[in-house]
Amino acid sequence: MQVQATQLIHAYKQAPWRVQRQYVGAFLLIVIGAAMIAALYLQVTARAARAGREIQEMRVQITAIQRANADLETQLARLTSSAEMQRRAQALGYRPVKPGELDYVAIPGYVPPEPAILRAAEDAGYFPQPVPAEYTQSLLEWFDERIRAGVIR
Amino acid sequence: MRQQYAIRSLILVIGFAIVGLAVLAQMIRIQNSEQAKVFISHGDQYSGEFNMFYPERGEIYDRNGHLLAGNRTVYEVGVSLNQMSNPTALSAVLSTYLGKTYDEVYNQLTNSPEEWEYIVVQDYVGDETVMALQGIMQQYETGGDDSLNGLGFRPHFQRSYPESALASNVLGFVTRDGRGYFGIEEKYNDLLAGNPVQVWVPTDPNKANEIPRVPNGTTLVLTLHRDLQAKVETILDQALSNYGAENGAIIVMDPRKGDILAMATTPRLDLNNYSNYFDLFDNGSQYNPAIGMAYEAGSVVKILTMAAALDTGTVTPQTTFIDTGSIEVGGITIRNWNRQPWGQQNMTECLQHSLNVCLAWISSEMGPQAFYGYMERFGLGHQTGIDLSGEALGRLKVPGDTDWYPVDLGTNAFGQGVTITPLQLLMSATAIANDGKMVTPHVLYAMLRDGHQYNVPSQYAGSPIRAETARTLTEMLSISLEQESSLALLPGYRLAGKTGTAQIPTEFGYNQSQTNASFIGWGPVDDPQFMIYVWLYKPSASIWSSETASPVFSQVAEQTVIMLNIPPDMVRDQYGSR
Repeated sequence: MQVQATQLIHAYKQAPWRVQRQYVGAFLLIVIGAAMIAALYLQVTARAARAGREIQEMRVQITAIQRANADLETQLARLTSSAEMQRRAQALGYRPVKPGELDYVAIPGYVPPEPAILRAAEDAGYFPQPVPAEYTQSLLEWFDERIRAGVIR
Repeated sequence: MRQQYAIRSLILVIGFAIVGLAVLAQMIRIQNSEQAKVFISHGDQYSGEFNMFYPERGEIYDRNGHLLAGNRTVYEVGVSLNQMSNPTALSAVLSTYLGKTYDEVYNQLTNSPEEWEYIVVQDYVGDETVMALQGIMQQYETGGDDSLNGLGFRPHFQRSYPESALASNVLGFVTRDGRGYFGIEEKYNDLLAGNPVQVWVPTDPNKANEIPRVPNGTTLVLTLHRDLQAKVETILDQALSNYGAENGAIIVMDPRKGDILAMATTPRLDLNNYSNYFDLFDNGSQYNPAIGMAYEAGSVVKILTMAAALDTGTVTPQTTFIDTGSIEVGGITIRNWNRQPWGQQNMTECLQHSLNVCLAWISSEMGPQAFYGYMERFGLGHQTGIDLSGEALGRLKVPGDTDWYPVDLGTNAFGQGVTITPLQLLMSATAIANDGKMVTPHVLYAMLRDGHQYNVPSQYAGSPIRAETARTLTEMLSISLEQESSLALLPGYRLAGKTGTAQIPTEFGYNQSQTNASFIGWGPVDDPQFMIYVWLYKPSASIWSSETASPVFSQVAEQTVIMLNIPPDMVRDQYGSR
């Protein structure tokens, strides 16, 4: 029984095509692994580049929108300027009020509303956030960060 | 057979390995060669550029949120010289739209230094012109014509004032170099302008995050009431026309907080065409005379003298004075405005009839130490500290000064020989209207930055007199106004006030026919919500302020109670809000 087992092992060791296949297999595994990592890296880099380009375009859009906003605000102010409003009021047949023509009604607890500009300031909560690291770091930087964070052990 | 196969495989592997290694070696060699360094440095030149990011200048609003100063987009029209293919066509098109001659543009385009890659043909071009030019460019491109190649437009902001000349003396203006001049624009230039940031902007999209956020300049909200300001400016313009005055100023202030509600002066500059500045003004102090020009205001100063006398106990409202028409102070005879004796007068009547002799007697009774001590405490001869640039100092001569004479104690008591700005007297008088508490006038109501609002608190500027003194004097001024049946009165509202007619000093003495007519007043007396100062320079219809400045005060007060929703005294009594 023992002799028979020794013969089998000997026969297996003596099959070189098996050894070669293992080498080729291991090599292919490394090549495929490297290709996968390269593809992943390329994909992440391409996505980051695309996102970065979109961010740049959005920044340009933001600037353009801010300019348009400022223009519209100034245009609106011009259309509602004191002189223009007086002109329009007079054209509509209004005239300035005199003190004796005013009626006053006391409303307990009435608080005059704050100007819109001050209300807007209190409500404003928009602060542009910095671009997340996912869009900018390389795969190696990501691995490094994860290792440092102790997520990958 | 197997051995042969193995050898072939080995040769193949070695072959591939040699080729692979050769490729790798070549890559490393190329990457580290001298030529590579040159290529890399060339590449770096195009990897980005230094850009200066200028924040949008902060806007300016009135207290009700009306925009007084904003920004609008204008364009720099330029040509990339290395892309230019047809300077003749470009010159023809640009000269048509930019208001330049053909030769001018052609010379710019063809005679520029060789190293220049880009040339600015014209800056601050409006969007209508740029849109028209873009339309022309599109037509050329559609027709396959590249004659306008190289033409480009770079947008940037320009200051814009929707209200044109309204409150121009308070706002100031911004020149093309981005610097503010006069008023708020100069005083808060750093806040409004924000901080420009120079950054390296990479073309690599991976580095997009390196562009920093450039926060806009701080937005300012002013205490001004736009519509009241417009009304007051109209009233001032009419007053100058009606009374033939050369110049003038009107200030409306909330005496409780020091908020400037309106500040009108003449002339006013259209802020969108600030280049006309030199046509209107000879020097900077003329830009806002309400704070920039100190003058001898005359009898309006009597309220400060009386306040000091009441506070020290030198006189009471019932104190009587026998007016003989003249009094000698420091060896010089002082006379009344009409050079007549008024007989027995109490202190209210002294104010009502604006008697120089009576006030000179009061200051003499007080003595120089007490009198000038109070004038100092009222802030005469000092700046008010208002947050506007260009404030003048005024002058109060005091004993010890080389140009002070004993007679000044008498003349200063009725406003002669002491120079003040309208705003200085207004600030001093807040102590009388505000139960003895003096407040610093200010124009800034709030600042808005990064979504946060910072309100500017009122600034207490001392208590030169007691609350009781302030109330007593207010009552005296109110009675004197009513008994005089002054043109300054406003039906339905009890007001306190004082006229001031001052001859204008010249190098040959005081000019009898030319005066500064002033009026200071406030109301309602029981709850002062507004204080008004009127100054008319050289009115020709009448030299007396009671006939010129007083009715102007009444008109301004009328508009003020309407705009600020201040009900008449009777209505406030009825609702118990007094």
